[in-house]
Amino acid sequence: MKHPPRRLRYLKAELDTFFAMTHKELVIMTRYPIEFIASFGQIFLIIAMITLAGLTFSQTGQESGENLISGVVVYGFVLFMFVSDTMWTLGYEVRQEQVQGTIEQLYLSPANKFANLISRVVTVLLWTGLLSLAGVALMIALLGQLPFYNGLLGLYLLIMALLGTFGMGFAFAALTLRIKEAAQTVAILLQFVFMIVCAIFFPFTTLPPAIRMISRVIPFSYAVDAFRSTLMGYPEGFPELAPIEVEIFIVTAFAILMPITGYYLYRRAENHARSMGSLSEY
Amino acid sequence: MYLLPKLGAPYQKILTKHEANKRIMKLRPGFSVILASSKTRLLTLSRYPGELLIDIITPIVFALIPILIGKASAGSGAETIFARNTGTENYISYMLIGSCIFSIVFFAFWNVAYWLRSEMETGTIEALYLSPSHRIWVAGGISLYSLIRSIFSAAIAYILGSFLFGVNPFQGNIVLALLFIIIGIIPLYGMTLIFGAMVLRVKQANTLVNLMQWIVSFLMGVFFPIAMLPAFLRVLALLFPPTWMNIGARASILGIEYFFTEWYLDLAVLWGFTIFAPLFGYWAFRSAENKIRSNEGVGTF
Repeated sequence: MKHPPRRLRYLKAELDTFFAMTHKELVIMTRYPIEFIASFGQIFLIIAMITLAGLTFSQTGQESGENLISGVVVYGFVLFMFVSDTMWTLGYEVRQEQVQGTIEQLYLSPANKFANLISRVVTVLLWTGLLSLAGVALMIALLGQLPFYNGLLGLYLLIMALLGTFGMGFAFAALTLRIKEAAQTVAILLQFVFMIVCAIFFPFTTLPPAIRMISRVIPFSYAVDAFRSTLMGYPEGFPELAPIEVEIFIVTAFAILMPITGYYLYRRAENHARSMGSLSEY
Repeated sequence: MYLLPKLGAPYQKILTKHEANKRIMKLRPGFSVILASSKTRLLTLSRYPGELLIDIITPIVFALIPILIGKASAGSGAETIFARNTGTENYISYMLIGSCIFSIVFFAFWNVAYWLRSEMETGTIEALYLSPSHRIWVAGGISLYSLIRSIFSAAIAYILGSFLFGVNPFQGNIVLALLFIIIGIIPLYGMTLIFGAMVLRVKQANTLVNLMQWIVSFLMGVFFPIAMLPAFLRVLALLFPPTWMNIGARASILGIEYFFTEWYLDLAVLWGFTIFAPLFGYWAFRSAENKIRSNEGVGTF
């Protein structure tokens, strides 16, 4: 009997690991049904909060459906939800394995570590996709019809942004292996920095010029700007940071280079931890 | 005292004093547990100074988002429109006060819930139940730690945020605002016991805290007056002590109207919660504990 080439067997083993781990993660998710209900409730409450906060600045007490600000907030919110998963889940999961004392067993098993890490994000992304759809529907119900154009290009930009932040997630997981508990603090700080500097919930023009200069240095800002400007059909003043062609180029480069860099950093941190024997220390 | 009915009043007085001392002596180990458990946590916190930094930054960032959204949507007329909807032009302080009080409330829920959850995850909760000191004292220690941490960070955040956004942090009646917050803290920590009972039953502290933080911020009207809520939600919000803390503190600092127009009437409502909420919280916590101990045990998660 002829065996398939070694590379193919290796690839099959990797895929098997990925599916097995994804299945395991999905099983865990189904064991916590309250989390499903709670996350829907959470989305509803966040949206209601933003809407009511917006209404305190509304002339009539009613937001206009065609209001550009609604588009900025809603599309920013969708991107924020996805990006939160890709950027922080890996580091958080590494930390959880450390705290629960299972990280060494995982590393001693012959299963592929890359597939193991990715599987954790994929399950969360599936769930976030559903939540985003529910969130957008709810926002449309509350704020009225949103501007929606260039769906395909918007999807491309979303995927590119996710790939880029996925790379950042690997870099953050590497940091978690090195600085342990303090990584959570760094994660929260970075999340705040990104929320403000990358103007996720508001236009860049509301930021002071000095902060806007910093925004221009972070590739993710271009992803935010390009994504919402594209979906809003490039109204006057959008995109705010650069012409759309330039922004698409930056976002694509971010999506290609960042995962490579992030994974390289993760492998380095992992090897360092293994050679120092500090993998399970926390 | 009732065992010696025939003795004269002076003896009764002496015995009563003796009994009172005995009672105090009985409480002493409990207070030691409170101090020891809060000290442990404060010591741990001192090893992670970055966490304190986040505690201070969080309310500022939380307030900044609606401020910038408001600025973007209302433009130069933001103050006037905001005053029409809320009663004050000072929307920056309005948001900042809301988010600082919210951070106090959030910490109360988070610290109690996460304490129970981390004891479950690290496998020490059963040991805690086997120790001779009652959990309620440990919960008291957690609450004290949470209170010190949250009041400190919220005060710094308020002052720092005010300076960063260019508003005066010491305007209005600060003392009265502090009074609302201090009195509101008692029912707040009483309520955290109800939440602790939920964590014991449901286990998923992270999920519950995540959901709770938004329910809390929504009900207490962190960024908007509760008058904007539908009628049934407004009633629910008024049954929630942090709402009164928020209304009282805002009205004292920004000069907007109290719920019952006079500050002492609003404060009286908070006093009412002060009596009811801790008792109800304790009852809920004990009931949940007893039920779990007689069923699956506290060690499962």
